[in-house]
Amino acid sequence: MIQNLIYLYCLTNKVPKLKEIEALVDNIYFIFHQGLYAVTGRVSSNEFSEENLRKNLGNLEWITAKASIHEKVIETVMQNSCVIPFKFGAIFNTEENLKTMLKKHIKEFKDTLKHLEGKEEWGVKIYCDMGKLKENLIQDAEELLNLDREINSASPGKAFILKKKKEESANTIVNKKLNECGQESFERLKQYSIQSRINKLLPIEVTERKDEMILNAAFLADKNKVKEFVGVVDVLKAKYSDKGIDFDCTGPWPPYNFCSLSGEKAQNG
Amino acid sequence: MDNVITKSKDVTLLEILDRVLDKGVVISGDIVISLADVDLIYVGLKVLISSVETMERLRGAPFAGGQEEPN
Repeated sequence: MIQNLIYLYCLTNKVPKLKEIEALVDNIYFIFHQGLYAVTGRVSSNEFSEENLRKNLGNLEWITAKASIHEKVIETVMQNSCVIPFKFGAIFNTEENLKTMLKKHIKEFKDTLKHLEGKEEWGVKIYCDMGKLKENLIQDAEELLNLDREINSASPGKAFILKKKKEESANTIVNKKLNECGQESFERLKQYSIQSRINKLLPIEVTERKDEMILNAAFLADKNKVKEFVGVVDVLKAKYSDKGIDFDCTGPWPPYNFCSLSGEKAQNG
Repeated sequence: MDNVITKSKDVTLLEILDRVLDKGVVISGDIVISLADVDLIYVGLKVLISSVETMERLRGAPFAGGQEEPN
């Protein structure tokens, strides 16, 4: 296979230590340009040409393998220096084209690296077992207990309507609690971070969990504050554990969520 | 380095779809995976349109003061 394309993993401002990654991926090297190191690899158009890449995206096994390599390469570089991670599949035909791109955005890249210095991305995802939450909330909701009493003494017709009403009230109570939990958690974690971002919720086919995702957030935290940040997650986790609400805290990640170009940076939080 | 904190961080399908394939710098390289291409993966996963709609609906109610996805 001719390795005729250049795959860009990340940018960094220190000489990347590639020894560890060389065992993981073939043909990895870096390109130095105006003070930046672009960590790149040679890949084949058999896999990564526009047409073949699109075809391969339909192959979950292929994506999982390649995306894991992408992540591992960046994480290895991240151990020694600050990185700007690129999205999976940034590919150039020639080194010249890559350098042209670097030249075009050099100031933004350097500013971003400066901004990211000493900071880490952390992810917090909140999940809820809806059945368990509902059960927990119903048992001590005054208005629902009152409705139960009414239902017991009502005619069949009226009982039917009251039951519907009870269902609606229960759903309202559940939604209120979910919002409350999401908002409280996000606001508290925000205080221990520099930037924050709410991302789209992902379905169970993706999360491979039984409970439902109710918040998907990313935070950029000062390295010295991470301990406190994780501590807050533990406090929230303890507070909500009997409600069927679970917190998944992961990190440090390459700052995927906090390095977008063209003024798309999340606001201070 | 006992002050380095890490939490379980497997590169799961979830994190691949949420981070590696969805975020990070997007530049006008010679070849870049587009959003539509990533959607193909969801189709491959047989994520039904109805659940995508649910996702959109849930996303439609961001928390006050929360930063929504910029894109």
